[in-house]
Amino acid sequence: MTTPQVEVLLIAVMVAACCSLPGVFLVLRGEAMATDAISHSILFGIVIAFLIVKDISSPFLLVGAALTGVLMVAIVEIITNTKLVREDASIGLVFPFLFSVGVILIAKKIGNVHIDTDAVLLGEIAFAPFDRLVIYGYDLGPKALYVLSGIFILNVLFITIFYKELKLSTFDPGLSTTLGFPSKVIHYCLMAIASLTAVGAFDAVGVVLVVALMIVPAAASYLLVEKLYLMIVVSLIIALVSSVSGFFIATQMDISIAGTISVTAGLCFVGIFFFAPRRGIIFLIAKKTRQKLDFAHLMLLVHISNHEKLQERYNENNVREIYKHLNWERIYTSTVIHMAINRGTVVDNKGVLSLSNKGKQHVIETIMK
Amino acid sequence: MVTETNTHVSAIKIEDLTVAYRDKPVLWDVDLDVPAGVLMAVSGPNGAGKTTLIKSILGLIKPVAGQVQVFGMSYRQNRKTVAYVPQKSSVDWDFPTDVLDVVLMGRYGHLGWIKRPGKKDKDLAKEALDKVGMLHLSYRQINQLSGGQKQRVFLARALVQDAMVYLMDEPFQGIDAVTERTIIGLLKELRSLGKTVLVVHHDLQTVKEYFDRIALLNIRLIVAGAVDDIFTDENLKKTYGGLKTF
Repeated sequence: MTTPQVEVLLIAVMVAACCSLPGVFLVLRGEAMATDAISHSILFGIVIAFLIVKDISSPFLLVGAALTGVLMVAIVEIITNTKLVREDASIGLVFPFLFSVGVILIAKKIGNVHIDTDAVLLGEIAFAPFDRLVIYGYDLGPKALYVLSGIFILNVLFITIFYKELKLSTFDPGLSTTLGFPSKVIHYCLMAIASLTAVGAFDAVGVVLVVALMIVPAAASYLLVEKLYLMIVVSLIIALVSSVSGFFIATQMDISIAGTISVTAGLCFVGIFFFAPRRGIIFLIAKKTRQKLDFAHLMLLVHISNHEKLQERYNENNVREIYKHLNWERIYTSTVIHMAINRGTVVDNKGVLSLSNKGKQHVIETIMK
Repeated sequence: MVTETNTHVSAIKIEDLTVAYRDKPVLWDVDLDVPAGVLMAVSGPNGAGKTTLIKSILGLIKPVAGQVQVFGMSYRQNRKTVAYVPQKSSVDWDFPTDVLDVVLMGRYGHLGWIKRPGKKDKDLAKEALDKVGMLHLSYRQINQLSGGQKQRVFLARALVQDAMVYLMDEPFQGIDAVTERTIIGLLKELRSLGKTVLVVHHDLQTVKEYFDRIALLNIRLIVAGAVDDIFTDENLKKTYGGLKTF
């Protein structure tokens, strides 16, 4: 790997890591789509700030643009509070407006700078190493790497210092406020952090893919683990895995790096969605099937036990007839009978089923419960 | 109406409280004095403003007129003396955490910003879980709890707040009979310790058995006082508009 490639890889990893942290809380608060709104509206802030400071990686630009994200959240809240428009609709009103103004300003005012509309949407991570941090003639590496590391450290500090407050206000905003941790204040801090992260990631991945990097690792991790701190750690790991693997796939196939990272993150999610223990689709289906079979097994035992009196058992408990009495499918019935025989709860006595001691015990225990 | 002697201590004193959404009043000029050490029900029809009343006491809703005092001070000055048990439907029970952790949240107010709960807080949380009969489920994921267990967890969380006043929003909604008995037992125990308990309560059948005071609310405060004095058919008719008789 060449040095620029290593630098691009590092930037990709940092972007994914930065985004995944606020993403966890946004997903848990049911505000995943707020990231979409934030990432679009910061474009307006970036353009305005750029027109003022004329430097794409100036810290003023970062902060100025991040404030637009917070401003957007505030405007949405004001509109929603009028009760004339619902929240989802007011989000839809505000961010496309800010985004469009941003796009128009780029077209009219910034002709020759590298923010063009394609890069706005998807970013261009491969160009990130060209913008370098040079102090007294020493080349210290790509500026983006420093900016992103700064944002990452800020995110980590924010989440570790205010972990308790973030957790409480996410789980129970009402209690949080009554205990003296105003959930509104925490909400705005989180939105400010998310906005700053989106601004930092903008150069590399554009306004659309930021959403993928914030939401996908968190949503996947939510399916895997059951503790908040684990959810943060696992979502960070998923972000790292998908950014590294996405980078190598993209360079091998010579396709968009940011796009491939989003796709690998998406594939991670799909894999987890199906195969996660406890909450994965396959596990849930298997669990349902097992419960259904267990219950069918019990029904069979109860039926046999109810008809174990001498005469009627030849008819009621007959291997070939029993499906009619239970009104079950024939094949299904024989599956359940086989299962019962394998479990040693039912004995097949020349075509007539009866309960073993274990079977009797099972029926008594269940009915007693 | 029985006149209160003026010597008692007011746990909560609500004066001329009006809450409105735009020009529609939800609570209208409510005066309510909750003496310290009582177990009081707040009852009334749907939309009577019961939850709003609780939320106004907690400062979660800004009134358009009037004021609320907790032991003679504003809620903000006195927040550590008040514990709040919201309706259990008010939170997302799929949140990734366990029972003990939720109960520990009740300690956060005492801890203040940034500081994390320590061993002492954990011991208090376990003690509270033991009181509500949930100690064996301390590490159970909260999405696996039944309705009654969720309510017990919320009550335990309020208990660790070690407050003087407990405000509960429909704690008996959708729970099993055993949990209801456990909860009312604990509430009576709290009262015997001199705590004040204010409960939004729907089931008029159990008012006489559970509470010593009641406030009947229907946007305006219809009447408040000792259950024995004011829990009458006439007052219920005034409150429920003749829809419910007892």
